[in-house]
Amino acid sequence: MSTKFTYSEEELVIALRKQDDLAFNYLYDHYAGALYGVIKPIVTDGELTNDVLQEAFVNIWRRMDQYDETKGRLFTWMLNIARNAAIDKTRSKGFQQSQKHQSISDAESIINPSRPGYDDYGLKKVLLKLKNEQRQLIDLSYYQGFTHEQIAKALDIPLGTVKTRIRTALSQLRVLLS
Amino acid sequence: MNVKEYISGGAIESYVLGMSTEEERREFESLAATYPEIAKARNAFELALEEQLLRDAPAPPAQIKATVLSAVQTINTDSIANPLPAEETPVRSMGIWKWMAAASLLLMAGAAWWGFDSNKKYNHLQAQTDSLQQQLTTATAQLNEMKADAGLLQNPAVKMAAMKGTSNPDIFSTIYWDTASKDVYLMLNNLPQPAGDKQYQLWALLGGQPIDLGMIEVTQKRLLYRMKNVQNAEAFAITLEPTGGSTAPTSTPIVLSKL
Repeated sequence: MSTKFTYSEEELVIALRKQDDLAFNYLYDHYAGALYGVIKPIVTDGELTNDVLQEAFVNIWRRMDQYDETKGRLFTWMLNIARNAAIDKTRSKGFQQSQKHQSISDAESIINPSRPGYDDYGLKKVLLKLKNEQRQLIDLSYYQGFTHEQIAKALDIPLGTVKTRIRTALSQLRVLLS
Repeated sequence: MNVKEYISGGAIESYVLGMSTEEERREFESLAATYPEIAKARNAFELALEEQLLRDAPAPPAQIKATVLSAVQTINTDSIANPLPAEETPVRSMGIWKWMAAASLLLMAGAAWWGFDSNKKYNHLQAQTDSLQQQLTTATAQLNEMKADAGLLQNPAVKMAAMKGTSNPDIFSTIYWDTASKDVYLMLNNLPQPAGDKQYQLWALLGGQPIDLGMIEVTQKRLLYRMKNVQNAEAFAITLEPTGGSTAPTSTPIVLSKL
């Protein structure tokens, strides 16, 4: 089903709160790809990526009344639901067993955080422009969901340094995006 | 505080990308509400991020959309089956799962009460059953005694001898003597309660000699009292003796019989 009209963000939010099917259709058509692009490099498994995308949209529909526009844009809210669902999936027991998912101590995931086939779209494409060291930190914290403490321990860098480097990388990211 | 420094320090990106700690998030929200520049910068980064992610985004497999829409449809059907108020009230925001949780709690409370109540009833019934069982045992034992006594009375080998009061005609007892087994049974038709230091004693008389047949417990509630056996007897007598009995009667018989 293709959507022939567009919504402003305000209209979209109002319609979604009224549980308008057409608005949800539009939301999916418009944002599924972008969310898919965030989930895919986190989950990496195609079948599970599809599951997470479904879960994310169902959660968006269910939790629409929790969205607070004073705290940010609708897309930002959805993006965080999708990222959290994806990271939760990689933390699940089933995933750990089936994927032999790289742990943070896995040397390869630290030395070469980028995975072929996942760097040619979305945020990953921008991250390629960052310094290797910065990209690694963003990958560990954003895509793999590790805390600053975990990263500091695994990379054997002081916690303060990890925080500073991630902050620097993030502000660099904003410069690259604008 | 230096707003410019804060804006360029990575806090905005960290917040928008969901990488802040709970504490950092609260701090950011409070600052963004206070300083419009921070809110503005946040919005700018959100827009830039959104545009970047929408640009050449990978296409998810086409079949996912149908699954998502049908899953959402199921949620809607559930909502219709349990209609919520149309107005935006706190009740409306409860959602189907909270209703179900509430229903489950009620159900659990109901089940707990039912269990408690049933247990109470069970204990009560158990006590009642125990008491009835006891009554039945007592009644059965009594009935069996009566049956045995009745069987005895019907036995043709049993001879009956009425013992009449020697001075008071109201005083009266009956002897049943089984001539085959030589068992002696006594029926206390009317025998007054003796004084505290006295007891009735039954005697058989043979050739003018008394033979001790045992002490009589007037308080016993039996139809027939089994006494000592006697091989032969011409008559029976009851005398009042000191408690514990005597080897030979020390008083004149209260009641006396002839076979």
